[in-house]
Amino acid sequence: MSLLRAYSTPATTKKESSEIVAPEPAREVLVADVISGAPGELRHRSVRIYQPTRNTMQSGAGKTERWRLDFDILQGGSRWENPLMGWASSADYMQGTRLSFRSKEDAIHFAEKQGWDYYVQPEAIKRIPPKNYAENFVYKPHKLRIMRTK
Amino acid sequence: MLRIVSTVSRPSSTGILGKVATSGRRSLATSSARNADITLTVDGKEVTVPQGSALIQACEAAGATIPRFCYHDRLAIAGNCRMCLVEVERSPKPVASCAMPAMPGAKVFTNTPLVHEAREGVMEFLLANHPLDCPICDQGGECDLQDQSMRYGADRTRFHEITGKRAVENKDLGPLVKTSMTRCIQCTRCVRFANEVAGVEEFGTSGRGNDMQIGTYVEKTVDSELSGNLVDLCPVGALTSKPYAYHARPWELKNTESIDVMDAVGSNIRIDSRGVQVMRIQPKTNDDVNEEWISDKTRYAYDGLKFQRLTTPLIKQGDRFVAASWEDALTAIAEGLAASGATGNEIQAVAGHLADTESLVALKDLANRLNSDNLTLDQPNGHLPPVHGVDIRSNYLFNATIPGVEAADAILLVGSNPRHEAAVLNSRIRKSWLHTPVEVGFIGERADTTYGYEYLGADANSLEAFVSGKAPESAFTKKWKEAKRPLIIVGSALSEHSDAAGVYNALAKLAEKEKARLVTPEWNGFSVLQRVASRAATYEIGFTPSRAASQTKPKFIYLLNADEVDPKSIPSNAFVVYQGHHGDLGAQLADVCLPGSAFTEKGTTWINTEGRAQLGRAAVSPPGAAREDWKIIRALSEVIGVPLPYNDTLELRDRMWEISPALVRYDITEKTSSDIALEGIKAIKDRTAGAKIGGAAFKKPISNFYQTDPISRASVTMAQCTRSFTKGENYGFSESGKAEQAAFA
Repeated sequence: MSLLRAYSTPATTKKESSEIVAPEPAREVLVADVISGAPGELRHRSVRIYQPTRNTMQSGAGKTERWRLDFDILQGGSRWENPLMGWASSADYMQGTRLSFRSKEDAIHFAEKQGWDYYVQPEAIKRIPPKNYAENFVYKPHKLRIMRTK
Repeated sequence: MLRIVSTVSRPSSTGILGKVATSGRRSLATSSARNADITLTVDGKEVTVPQGSALIQACEAAGATIPRFCYHDRLAIAGNCRMCLVEVERSPKPVASCAMPAMPGAKVFTNTPLVHEAREGVMEFLLANHPLDCPICDQGGECDLQDQSMRYGADRTRFHEITGKRAVENKDLGPLVKTSMTRCIQCTRCVRFANEVAGVEEFGTSGRGNDMQIGTYVEKTVDSELSGNLVDLCPVGALTSKPYAYHARPWELKNTESIDVMDAVGSNIRIDSRGVQVMRIQPKTNDDVNEEWISDKTRYAYDGLKFQRLTTPLIKQGDRFVAASWEDALTAIAEGLAASGATGNEIQAVAGHLADTESLVALKDLANRLNSDNLTLDQPNGHLPPVHGVDIRSNYLFNATIPGVEAADAILLVGSNPRHEAAVLNSRIRKSWLHTPVEVGFIGERADTTYGYEYLGADANSLEAFVSGKAPESAFTKKWKEAKRPLIIVGSALSEHSDAAGVYNALAKLAEKEKARLVTPEWNGFSVLQRVASRAATYEIGFTPSRAASQTKPKFIYLLNADEVDPKSIPSNAFVVYQGHHGDLGAQLADVCLPGSAFTEKGTTWINTEGRAQLGRAAVSPPGAAREDWKIIRALSEVIGVPLPYNDTLELRDRMWEISPALVRYDITEKTSSDIALEGIKAIKDRTAGAKIGGAAFKKPISNFYQTDPISRASVTMAQCTRSFTKGENYGFSESGKAEQAAFA
């Protein structure tokens, strides 16, 4: 799926025709902008919707079932080193905002309501073959190709 | 064990394993016969898993969390940490769920007092010899032992040994992996990884019980391109990252999932940043690309992003560069273009290794608007039209796909050393070689791959002999004749070779001869392995010169991330612009330097060697006045007076869609149909008909794996790796672990 404008333009419809994208959602979108009072610039921000993958340093798979929505950084304005203290300063008030949703659709719906351009990163499908201990000792008809040094 | 096959239908709940996709590809030969599903009960919940699964997989599928140290999804089962004990009905003792096959009808409990007690006991044994140095341990915050002892361990100690804990001498594994072997809990994940995936068979265990040690027997560094993964696998702080040591804690880091550009595999990575700095790079699991591994260059070259950066536009005055504003720099280019008098094909654009797709599209559009077709690649003979052509994408892509490598039953490597050109892909070949009777043939400069191969020769003549069946009969040629899914991996260096036409002619003949097996609707075994991140994209958008343009002497040269150019190929009176992120070779040659962004600083499209489009993501902002690359080209087009028709990323992606829809269809590889692929092969054959073979030996394009691009050349860690692994010098790191150690008892 490609970066889509929340309010579709002719250009993006063209892209969609060839696309594996979810079709334009049929549901009514109440634009949050009407009542939220959020600054207008916020509508020009792009967000990414994704399922975080497991940290490879750990075996726990917590938080990988949820869909996360967070903001792309502001080019130029996201971070700089504060000349006085050396801390990282930011002009981006959304840099620490990270939303979590139960499903992709919820996240997309939310982004549409807010009028954010979003990119949905498809979930990674895990392909782990059945494993078993006996595989270590199974007879191989050809020449043995591994020396187990465990 | 009671074996009653449950008649209950498949449960609707899908745990982690429930998502296991039964892909169309063949599974490993050793497990291909087991397709039946079995049903068992875990914590009162029915779950169906494929027969032959381990009990731990069934428990995961049922959504039960099983603590583990030694079990890892992508390694062989060891069953030695005992942390995954569960209770099985009618079993006298708790069973280790990783080493126990899931049995139909079994009733498993993962949350009973017996299990709790068992886990607590195991934890107590593990902690008996584990130092309590979490505050000074680099694993702190993402340590499995720390987490699991909080969750499953006892809340008080019974440890009152007067002799203290076991102490083990540290090992020297080179400049990447730091060891602290006292912390080791002997899960042997590192040994299994080294044996099975990395192919470092000298890494192993010695001794037993309390005296067991992990090491290389005789002192030796772990010379593997994948050694950084040892750090990930270690569930405790015994193996930690040396370059990252004491730099940050995991909770301080912002994670950004992105794409790697150090090779053409397009490994999925997670960039961990703090403030304005990239602190480390971790793999992101993606079974279609890199599984769970990344190469050391991907993982550790990030410190090169801090050095040698171009931060402001620079204009050359006399023999030195002077910092300038963007406006001045762009005006200077416009004036330089006018003063050089370059028109049409005299304007040359050079696409470098790390150029992203967006900027390549913008640069091609700009050059074309200036009536130039002189679009050159930053490689030997890059100024010539590529010998394989770019009209049919199967001619330059890795058509078998990366997971498809495991399905091949005979692999012929031509002029390629995947170990250095695509280290992660190489581990797939090794995996296949270990588990299936696949045979590998090799034509090119001899290399230490991590699997055995049959050497067929060093040059195009040997390839010709193999194609015409004149090669001497051997195990590989026999296997090749019978192979149902033969795979030819064509190195990217072949198209740069002086015999390129002859080689491609021979390959095309081979493909036509074997088309019944090599190019079928299900399988396309003609696969070109690119080695640089931008190459597939340049071919995809047609960033190649016309024949007329390739003869023209350029007067204006635009180097986009081009740092491998031969300085002699640049005419002395040409006006040269360099756009890129590092002050490397290309910047030295330039009259004007424009600071661009590195891959961690822009959210752009990358096309990997399979033709898979993937969207990277910016983790930090570019330093100083540097800008996103395509925007620089867009701004320049305005100043030159031929404005490009896109103003934001979305419009640019629409333009990319116009060029090739595959460029913006993210995360999928589009297959070329076998008919078209055969057309492509025929086109190669026609194009190269009658080519003569000079017989020069193929050469490895990468002599030093650790330094191949401006980022890794600027990296201190990669320089240390070069000294340690490529040159084999012992330069002092070896002493670090051997300093006098106080006997804290």
